[in-house]
Amino acid sequence: MLSLKDVHSYYGRSHILHGVTLNIPAGKVTSILGRNGTGKTTLLKTLMALTDRMTGEMHLLGKDIGSSPTHMRARAGIAYVPQGREIIPDFTIRENILMGTFARTDRKREIPALVPELFPYLMANLDRPGGVLSGGQQQQLAIARALAADPKVLLLDEPNEGIQPSIVEEIEKIIVQLNREIGMTIVLVEQNVAFARHAAHQFAMLEKGRVVASGAIDALSDALVHRHMAV
Amino acid sequence: MLDILFIGLSLGSILLLVALGLAITYGAMGVINMAHGEMVMIGAYVAVLSGIWLRASLLLAIPLAFIVTALLGLLIERVVVRRLYGRLLDTLLATWGIAILLQQAVRLEFGLSFLGIHVEGLGAGLQNVAVPSYLQGTFRLASADINAYRTFIIVITAVLTLATWFILYRTAAGMQVRAIIRNPKMAAACGIDVKRINAMTFAFGSGLAGVAGVMMSGFKTVFPDMGTTMVVDGFMVVVTGGVGSLFGTILSSGLLGEINALVAIGTNDILARAVVFGVVILVILVKPSGLFSFKGR
Repeated sequence: MLSLKDVHSYYGRSHILHGVTLNIPAGKVTSILGRNGTGKTTLLKTLMALTDRMTGEMHLLGKDIGSSPTHMRARAGIAYVPQGREIIPDFTIRENILMGTFARTDRKREIPALVPELFPYLMANLDRPGGVLSGGQQQQLAIARALAADPKVLLLDEPNEGIQPSIVEEIEKIIVQLNREIGMTIVLVEQNVAFARHAAHQFAMLEKGRVVASGAIDALSDALVHRHMAV
Repeated sequence: MLDILFIGLSLGSILLLVALGLAITYGAMGVINMAHGEMVMIGAYVAVLSGIWLRASLLLAIPLAFIVTALLGLLIERVVVRRLYGRLLDTLLATWGIAILLQQAVRLEFGLSFLGIHVEGLGAGLQNVAVPSYLQGTFRLASADINAYRTFIIVITAVLTLATWFILYRTAAGMQVRAIIRNPKMAAACGIDVKRINAMTFAFGSGLAGVAGVMMSGFKTVFPDMGTTMVVDGFMVVVTGGVGSLFGTILSSGLLGEINALVAIGTNDILARAVVFGVVILVILVKPSGLFSFKGR
């Protein structure tokens, strides 16, 4: 569905991704693993054209998007939930969600039907500012915003980072639910191997900006985890 | 006393129209547009020229000036500013160059003066605009003489400020502008065409400055350099009010306009300007981000 071939990505003069080739199958969860600073976040930013420069090929549903700017990739169907969530604190919850709709091609400005089902708390507080929410609720808001784009692929960057344990479980459940029930294609950057094993169908392990191992999630052995993720 | 406050309010209104455009473009795009004052100048010349050549009244000059300066703003954005995003000092220098270019274009009558052709209304000289008779004179309000033209300025500014507020806070386009002010990268990741919205914002801000120029032409002489001080005043309003805050811009332009009027009545214009500068410096020292800046980013 989404495929990368020999992708290099740069911030200024720093060369971060070195020839990443990756295939994200439709309707599956693909987990991107690796230690800190190996390029996981950069990989998602490269998919969104948010790094300074990239080379290589990138196709979404057979369409070449390698040279498309950020907003065109969003409109092509890639939705991004960044690390740190980046919701807008003085926008209301409603405005934060509706922000996602600018990527819709049918120009509808409405809260998607999924949101009340998945995030009843957000629906009950639509007119409160996003900044008053807790970290976990902001994470839900960022996911709701991404869903408002009616995306084909959802990019999640460490959705459980910095969130209180009680909500982690809830967010994990929602991610699995989005994939199993609605068939959403998800790219999940994750440090938590247990959750990756539970949620993902396949994985890609990054080391120094390169894919060092990838395949079905069953092939993610403890030895592999130890070699590339132990600190 | 009421009449002095009223003069202050009208001065503040002009400031507000100039500063609104600057506040949005500086807030949303991080561009210091030194040519913004020239939009005021061009707006004033639209009033002069439409009066001479079209026999149009000042009222008709308002939409005309808005269209002309908005299109000019769009052109400047497309040709120059667009290539300089993220390079604050370069935008300052480049737009200053544009400002000089525009001043000289008007002074040299777009080069026609070299060929011995004179266009009435252009050139280095001073120009005047006739105010329609129904906007001249004064009327009495609570035992104070209120100038009709200054009332007109305040009303037009109020209408345009309301329109700006409506666009920013009640339309999809305005929401995109506000999203870009807060977080341009995330805005783009949500499918917002940042370049297109920025160009529209730039044009709109330029158009407002053009309208301010029409207003000024009614009570001040019009000449090619008139925009230079306006851009300075505009930026003072923006930094005092807080970058990216519509409310702050409105309040600080009212504040600076009133200070100017009150001190000027008691003493003179020069001292009034010095006091305004003093107040702005004080505000920046005490609250570097302005009186009403949003948190975050």
